[in-house]
Amino acid sequence: NVHVCLTHAPLNLSTTVDLVRSPKAGAIVLFAGTTRDSFDSIPVTTLSYTTYTPLALRTLHTIAQEIKEKHGLVGIAITHRLGDVGIGEESIHIALSSPHRKSAWAAGEEALEEVKKKAEIWKREVFEDGSVWRSNRDGERGVRVED
Amino acid sequence: MASSETFKILYFAAAISYSKCDGETLPAPLPLSQLYEMLEKKYPGITEKVLRGSMVTINLDYVDLEEEAERVIKPGDEVAIIPPVSAG
Repeated sequence: NVHVCLTHAPLNLSTTVDLVRSPKAGAIVLFAGTTRDSFDSIPVTTLSYTTYTPLALRTLHTIAQEIKEKHGLVGIAITHRLGDVGIGEESIHIALSSPHRKSAWAAGEEALEEVKKKAEIWKREVFEDGSVWRSNRDGERGVRVED
Repeated sequence: MASSETFKILYFAAAISYSKCDGETLPAPLPLSQLYEMLEKKYPGITEKVLRGSMVTINLDYVDLEEEAERVIKPGDEVAIIPPVSAG
C-alpha cells in the first residue's frame, strides 16, 4: 500500500486520502504543501517544478517504503506536481494511514523532511524581475536563472 | 559518429543555465575523472557555479567522483548532473 506519483495535473485532496484509507487505520494524516505569495518578503509570481522522473520515482518510493515500515503504517501516498504551481495551489501531497494517531503524525513529518532532502525535483521561484533555482539545502539564497 | 560511441548526459536546474540544453550526447568512453574538466571546456564557469555543489548519477545510481576515480563512462550510459534539490 505504497503509492508515489508525479503529475502535471492539479492535485486532488480526496483522491490522495482515498489512496491510504483503510479499515485497518484509525488515523489518516495529510500534508499539503502550497505556493506562498512571497519569499523573504519578495512577491512570488509562481513556483515551477521539474524533475528527473525515473530517479525521483525511485527515491520517493524508497522513502515511502522505509517510512511505512519504520512507523508501522497501513498506507502511504506521496504525490508531487510538476510544471507551474500558482499561489495557493498544492505542489505536494503526503498522506498516510496508521492504526493509531501518534505514529501517523510522526511519520508525516519525517516523510516530508526526507522528500525535501532527497527527491530529485527542483523548484524555480518566479519573481517579477526574473527567476531563481531554489535549494532546500542550507536555506540557500538560490541560483539566479540566466538567459 | 555511430550512436554506440556516445553517452547521454542530462542537465537539471541551474546546470541548464550553462549548457543551454536539457541533455546531449557526448563521446564515450570517457574516464569519470575527466568529466568535469570536459564540461568546463564546453561551458566555462560551470564547475565553480554548478558542478562543485552538485552530485552525479550514472544509470540512476549516485557516483562518488573521488571513490570511483577509476570509473569509465561507457557508450550507452546515462549520466545526470544533480544540483541541490528542492522538492515540496
